[in-house]
Amino acid sequence: MADTVFHEGFFRIALWVSLALGGLGLLWRLVTWLTVRIGSDAREVSFGQRLWAAIGGGVGALFSRRLPGMMGAFFLDVLFQRRLFATSKLRWAGHLMILVGFTVLLVMHALAAWLSGKLFDNYYATLNPFLLLRNVFGAMAVIGVVLLALGRRRDWAFGRPARRPADGIFAALLAVVLVSGFLLEAQKIASPKAFYRMTDEFGLGTDAEELAGLRWVWKQDYGVAFTDLHGEPDADVLAEGRELNSQACVDCHARPQSAFVSYPMARAMAPVTATLDAANADRALLWLHVLACLLGIVVLPFTRFFHAVADPVSLVARGAAASGPLSLAGRVSRRALAADACIRCGLCDARCSVAPIARWLDNPELLPSRKVQATRRVAGRAWTRVGDGDADRLAQGAHLCTDCGRCTLRCPVGLDLADLWDAGRDDLAARGLPAPATWIQEQPAIAWAEALGTELGRVPPAGPLSADRRTFSACVQCQTCTNVCPVVAHGGTDADRVDLTPQKVMNLLRLGMVDLALGSRMVWDCATCYQCQENCPEGIRVTDVMLELRGAAWRQLGPVRDRRRPE
Amino acid sequence: MSGQQSKTWDVAVVGAGMAGMSAALFAASRGLSVLHVGNGGGLLFASGLLDVLGVHPVAPGRVWDRPWDALAALGKDDPGHPLVRVGADAVRVAMERVMSELGDAGMPYAPAEGNRQVPTSLGTTKVTYGVPRSMVAGAQAFAEGLPTLLVDFRGLREFSACQVVQTMGDRWPGLRCARVEFPDSEALSELYAVHVATALESSATRERLFERVRPLLGDASAVGFPAVLGLSRSGQVHQAFEAALGMPVFEIPTMPTSVPGLRLKGALEAAVGAHGVSRRVQSVVTGIVFDGDVAQLTLHDAAGGQTAAARAVILATGRFVGKGLVADRRGVAEPILGLRVEQPEARDSWHSRRFLEPAGHPINRAGLVTDSVGRPLDAAGNPAWRRLYAVGSILGRQDWMRQKCGSGLSAGTAWAAVDAIAGDLGGPGPVAG
Repeated sequence: MADTVFHEGFFRIALWVSLALGGLGLLWRLVTWLTVRIGSDAREVSFGQRLWAAIGGGVGALFSRRLPGMMGAFFLDVLFQRRLFATSKLRWAGHLMILVGFTVLLVMHALAAWLSGKLFDNYYATLNPFLLLRNVFGAMAVIGVVLLALGRRRDWAFGRPARRPADGIFAALLAVVLVSGFLLEAQKIASPKAFYRMTDEFGLGTDAEELAGLRWVWKQDYGVAFTDLHGEPDADVLAEGRELNSQACVDCHARPQSAFVSYPMARAMAPVTATLDAANADRALLWLHVLACLLGIVVLPFTRFFHAVADPVSLVARGAAASGPLSLAGRVSRRALAADACIRCGLCDARCSVAPIARWLDNPELLPSRKVQATRRVAGRAWTRVGDGDADRLAQGAHLCTDCGRCTLRCPVGLDLADLWDAGRDDLAARGLPAPATWIQEQPAIAWAEALGTELGRVPPAGPLSADRRTFSACVQCQTCTNVCPVVAHGGTDADRVDLTPQKVMNLLRLGMVDLALGSRMVWDCATCYQCQENCPEGIRVTDVMLELRGAAWRQLGPVRDRRRPE
Repeated sequence: MSGQQSKTWDVAVVGAGMAGMSAALFAASRGLSVLHVGNGGGLLFASGLLDVLGVHPVAPGRVWDRPWDALAALGKDDPGHPLVRVGADAVRVAMERVMSELGDAGMPYAPAEGNRQVPTSLGTTKVTYGVPRSMVAGAQAFAEGLPTLLVDFRGLREFSACQVVQTMGDRWPGLRCARVEFPDSEALSELYAVHVATALESSATRERLFERVRPLLGDASAVGFPAVLGLSRSGQVHQAFEAALGMPVFEIPTMPTSVPGLRLKGALEAAVGAHGVSRRVQSVVTGIVFDGDVAQLTLHDAAGGQTAAARAVILATGRFVGKGLVADRRGVAEPILGLRVEQPEARDSWHSRRFLEPAGHPINRAGLVTDSVGRPLDAAGNPAWRRLYAVGSILGRQDWMRQKCGSGLSAGTAWAAVDAIAGDLGGPGPVAG
């Protein structure tokens, strides 16, 4: 039979080669979890410390108070997918169907020779319940894919999240495996050639006349597409066929109607079954099915589908972290792991506080699903700071984040994104892309004003609010804004105290000295709590003006800095 | 346009000064649904002292010990004054109500029997009725001439203890002054009153301050500070000061905008919120149209326009600072509805020839005129709408600053307006308390 490919040398070579390549890919990814350094504190731990934290700490955790958290994470988060359930029921249903469908197919079907065959005395893929179950789990996987696709489309805030080409290849391979599997089964059900191969193998011969009864039975009950049987069978011939069937076949063959996907396909394919037989289609489909599986093993570690390995690790590590902070080495490795564990599902993007700004700026790098990749890239050895637009867009994404934490709360695989953003900003600063507040505060407001005066001559208004005299005309300099300002209240040292209080900033604008206001510490230290605006007895939009100044400072002071920056 | 459009409020209160806040408070506690539009920023100019009627007549500047006696005299001399129209009973119950609400919101007032003379940061005294508990010991110490220490903080520009002593020392012989360094502010050249007030809500800061003040107490039997003893928990902070220093402690109200003004604003906002009033803090009302039994209000904020519908409207938009009245060279107008403003005939008769005219200027008594229940009149002299009421300082025929009657005028007229509206809308009677 066609299954003999498993005994062919080429299959064995292909199997071992793909397992070796897949294993190397897996190892490479595991090593990156311990070598990629995200965040300035990541430099404080060595590879050895991280390896020890992962292995020693991981094993140690099993015998510590962390165990319940890890167990809970494994059963509730990994197996039941609790977090996805809370976020999106539709995607949860789809994902769970894929998970169950593929896992069972992998264990029971792909590894049948090693597992199912040994586990069950009477395991035959063509017998029930196995025949039915294979279809059940295959159909589950297909339905799951459809549900996920539906759920995903709903959650994409910024269009399609970024994908790597390998992701597409792997998805295509999965589709090939599923479709070829069903086609193969259908073809085997309908194929007269397969029928004769079996009768030959079991000593019944291949003579069409002698096997007429059995053929009738298999045409009527098993859906084999014999093209030469017409009309109604003779009752004796049929009875003889049934007798033979019950002696020789039924022990290994349930009626294929329980293959509720493949059987209708077989019926539909009946007109071309003969042609396919002639072309050795069963063999071709089997090779396609098997090779797609093997290729999938090779490609898997380089696709987002690697999350099947990374996410359980990530979730269990998260469960361990729930009962007390991890060691620095553990935290650093968790960040590196995040890049692999993120599947770019886009659920975070849909709830991101700055998503509207991302759309307005037309910069998807603001969105968390993109920032995970950007953070990983910036931390990578190959990434060097260049004054290009791409780097600036990444920095904009990192620095416009409001740290609201909604992405972390929503992430279906429980990544500590808040920690990742924090660490990522460190790396950006180290690569020459600090937050605007940092570089603007490196020199006093007066120095910026002088630089602007030299560069621009006359400084344009910061925006519509500051340009409109009516914005400030009612200001009586009563100091209420300064009085209620928590940033002024904080005081601090001479080095970091605010230079101009809010009411002084308002006064500068009233005097038309926007250049002095732009570089002021106050503009960047402002917590935008709106106390000043809410308490202003004259209803002046103090906070709105601060925000306008901030935007203008970024636009106008940025070029000044870039021109002065040494190459 | 939001979903609120479909709701018709019982009352829309326009303005969030003392009058608007009182009206919203009274209406909500009568079970009416209230939409309250306006920023309470004007309250920051308040001192926390609540006047009912301190001076009458204005020209000789006669000061009264009991506001109710003053009101009786006012009734004889000036029957058109809005306080006279409202009557002493309404003013008394309205003031009691406001003070008890403020107490519940963390700003307790001393029981009020009559008027008191409260020392101010200028070294003057101010005649007033409702005094925050944190300030009342100052009035008593002044009245009894107790040996008293006034303390100020280096860097806090609003208040100089020695200036007060210099100004009122001859009227208060036992008064001394001292300056201390406020804890943790050694590096600061300037202190801000609100920051000092919030810092004093921490017991650790207070303890360090007490250590610096105790050695200065000497023979004092009362001690005064600028009005910075706590912000939202001023009642507790004041108690802690008295317990720690072992004698009566009082605050002296400072120049506007002041911490007591912020407290008053915060406490009124909390009280109004606790009664379920729906507030539009950043909105202004730009137009009101009467459509049969319902008023349609147009609201504007930074984001754009909205409309709201109400069965009754209380106009509490204040005078010129609150933009309830606007003036140009031709005259004074009410900008939202174009209501009738009683005013001097000609621009040049707005003011007397003397800037500090003891009787006040005619323009100070300009304002809306109402019928006998408080409904403002339109240009033709008829009530502008059946359920439109005007309350507070926008009303004419009064000079609240010189008469020291601002809070009484605001709360009293608000009480009367709400009473009339509740009766008209068929609501329950006034709730006791």
